[in-house]
Amino acid sequence: MMDLILGYLTIGLVNGSFYALLSLGLALIFGLLNILNMTHGVLYMMGAFAAWAGSRYLGLGYFGGLVFAPLCVAVFGIILERSLLRRTYGLDPLYGFMLTFGAAMVVQGGFHAYFGSTGLPYAAPDWLSGGVDLGFLYFPAYRLWVVAVALVICVVVWIAITRTRLGSILRASSENAAAAEALGVGVPRVFAATFALGAALAGLAGALAAPIYQVSPLMGSDILLVVFAIIVIGGMGSIGGTIASSYALALIESLTQALVPQAASFIVFAFMCVVLLLRPQGLFGISVVRSHEFLAARLPWIEPADKATATGRLTGMAPAFAAVAALLVLPMLLYPVYLMKIFCFTIFAASFNFLLGFAGIMSFGQAALFGTAAYLTAHAAREWALPPEAAIGVGIASALVLGLVMGIFAIRRRGIYQAMITLAIAQMVYFAYVQASFTHGEDGIQSVPRGMLLGLIDLRNDTNVYWLSAAAMLGVLFGLRRLINSPFGMMLIAIRDNERRALSLGHNVDGYKLAAFGIAAFCAGVAGSMSAIVFQLATLSGVHWHLSGEAVLMALIGGIGTFGGPLIGAAVLVTMQHFLSPFGAWIVAIQGSVFVLCVLLFRDGLLPHVRALAANLRRQDATPKAVGTPQAVEAIGR
Amino acid sequence: MPDAVSLRLSNVQAWYGDSQSLFGVGFAVRPGEVTCLVGRNGAGKTTILRAIMGLLPRQTGSIVLSGRDASGMRPYERTRFGIGYCPEERAIFASLTVEENLALPPAVCAAGMAKADIFALFPNLRTRGRHYGDQLSGGEQQMLAIARILRTGAQTLLLDEPTEGLAPVIVRQIEQVVIELKRRGYTILLVEQNLDFVLHLADRVVAIENGAVVDDLETRGGEHIKARLLERLAL
Repeated sequence: MMDLILGYLTIGLVNGSFYALLSLGLALIFGLLNILNMTHGVLYMMGAFAAWAGSRYLGLGYFGGLVFAPLCVAVFGIILERSLLRRTYGLDPLYGFMLTFGAAMVVQGGFHAYFGSTGLPYAAPDWLSGGVDLGFLYFPAYRLWVVAVALVICVVVWIAITRTRLGSILRASSENAAAAEALGVGVPRVFAATFALGAALAGLAGALAAPIYQVSPLMGSDILLVVFAIIVIGGMGSIGGTIASSYALALIESLTQALVPQAASFIVFAFMCVVLLLRPQGLFGISVVRSHEFLAARLPWIEPADKATATGRLTGMAPAFAAVAALLVLPMLLYPVYLMKIFCFTIFAASFNFLLGFAGIMSFGQAALFGTAAYLTAHAAREWALPPEAAIGVGIASALVLGLVMGIFAIRRRGIYQAMITLAIAQMVYFAYVQASFTHGEDGIQSVPRGMLLGLIDLRNDTNVYWLSAAAMLGVLFGLRRLINSPFGMMLIAIRDNERRALSLGHNVDGYKLAAFGIAAFCAGVAGSMSAIVFQLATLSGVHWHLSGEAVLMALIGGIGTFGGPLIGAAVLVTMQHFLSPFGAWIVAIQGSVFVLCVLLFRDGLLPHVRALAANLRRQDATPKAVGTPQAVEAIGR
Repeated sequence: MPDAVSLRLSNVQAWYGDSQSLFGVGFAVRPGEVTCLVGRNGAGKTTILRAIMGLLPRQTGSIVLSGRDASGMRPYERTRFGIGYCPEERAIFASLTVEENLALPPAVCAAGMAKADIFALFPNLRTRGRHYGDQLSGGEQQMLAIARILRTGAQTLLLDEPTEGLAPVIVRQIEQVVIELKRRGYTILLVEQNLDFVLHLADRVVAIENGAVVDDLETRGGEHIKARLLERLAL
């Protein structure tokens, strides 16, 4: 038993080394650029590929690769920062997050399409083969080498940041970039250099990992979230804390692996949850300097409440009539399952859009609610043979319960810390489903019976399911709109805009936030349950954090805080998945580049742009009186 | 032929979001002189200093530093013309020690003030080298903020209300420092509320109201200047 534990400890030390190199760079980038760098896992993967390519095409040895890989990745990092990331500075951190999310999809999708998912071998040098007997423990030589290199690099970086003038420039810029720049610090160069340093550390980790794990395009995708958890646990802004918690968590993780294997994948996220609730500044952080709130500034494009005039009501109804007409015609023109997928995703995006756009709550955990509802609906319909309405009810109820649990914890924190709590809970839910037997693991719950709705409507008929999902979508969209325009919705918006003011006026802010979580969970539950009925399938991809990312993307593409935005966002996403399928494996890369373009060009989402275009066309029809007035001139001047 | 001014603003307009805060501000600061910006709260004095440094989200008009047009340059490029900005909120880095705060700014010219000289000007800082920025008192932070730009070798100093919110004894100490800096030939653009100190020190007073210059006078006129400013600003 002791040998087993010691064996796992060596694994922990090695993983801790990779975590430390990655979290160090991620923490530096986050501290300075205020960007949650979603490309970090991809940079790690690129490091491994650079080492492999260096040996294969340039004939570099192992040590050559160890220098070459970080250099390559750093150059890539500088190009990424200067060409794309730079454009999101000074904007809401959400845009940097989405931009890097898209960029990561491009790189990972491209590598996956080109190299496939089977790993490439990469050999360690001969003199590092074999093992070292430390007396109490037999340590494979290469792994010992990895730990040594990582520790040396970490200590060097730590000293450089805390003791040198360059380090003080970096710390000053992280604290207040404008003040540092006004003192003459070339802040743009500091930003590029920091991103390059973070990228190089990730590249080094990748090159070191190449001989242990196979060089594969997917190697960075799961490590990313663990590393996020580590910088939260260590305390953002604390370099020493980040390094220490990297090793500590890797050791805890591997010990759990030895003692309670089922809990190993949870432990980091459970730990993060507890730390965030008890000590939000992290174990080693001094204080919460910024809460990194998302959309802290007022959203200018929020729709005003309906005007109460009779004509206003009528013109306000016009889009609704048009929508119903479109719903009638569309199934004759397009594949119904494609449309139903759009409807399900619209409901899902609307749930996220409601939470972020109107309640100001950032949730990275919406997929857990979607997936829970899908699994339970599928299970209830298949194993318990419940009729569809009851199965859907079970699914929605379970999502609601999970959403409220998530909310109870998440409302205690704000901004990025809040998002991290939702992510942690969602990851734990994901791993629970991976291990649970009723989900059938990788296969998922298949051939879910659709049955008879209320004993009357045969859902085996695609047209009937089409109408059911269309009704669900319209119900959710209009229900949410009604809610937002109600006094309750006004309170949510007030809390979003100024929580303290709302609190000081005597409102039960936490209650409102929890209610918002519940409503969003209900909607995500509707989306998940409907998807189980529509596709007759519930799989792990419905719970995966990628789906939460897609919710953010859809809401952002459509326009956060708009009524019809989720529909546009879902239509764009599903249409791409549907019509890009001839491109096979390249689809992810193409999608990623579309997202990057959306963030760069249509930051407010497509809907406000469409509306502005329509308004412009209408203005051209109108009398030209407006042109030439001071207001118009000023508008042009802008 | 070089411009005979250290700093010249012409027709500077600036906006915070959609609201315009400067409406065509123009004045010049001559080398070696102390120019004071006076005006009520919210008139736009701080915004003018931020515009000179290029720290505003959107601004138009021209800003000439040492004879070179700096409009459109980034803030750090502007400091290369020997300009040092000491903001109202002082912007001392809490995560840096006093020594690191002093060592942080890159030298813009060779004439950076030596440490011994700085400690002679600000004796309070001498013993606090290893303390972090957030462990200093307000007065010490203000001294450090001024000391920091003197280290760079800047010859034109933009000081935004350096005595605001400090104890009277510290206020007198800082005033003495500003007088000493003027004696040493620094060009100073000072935002200050205390009219008596302004009239004692300034060579020139620029009055700001609603984001525009409403008066620009030399102070050699004596007492009637004060009356005019008081009337102007309705103080």
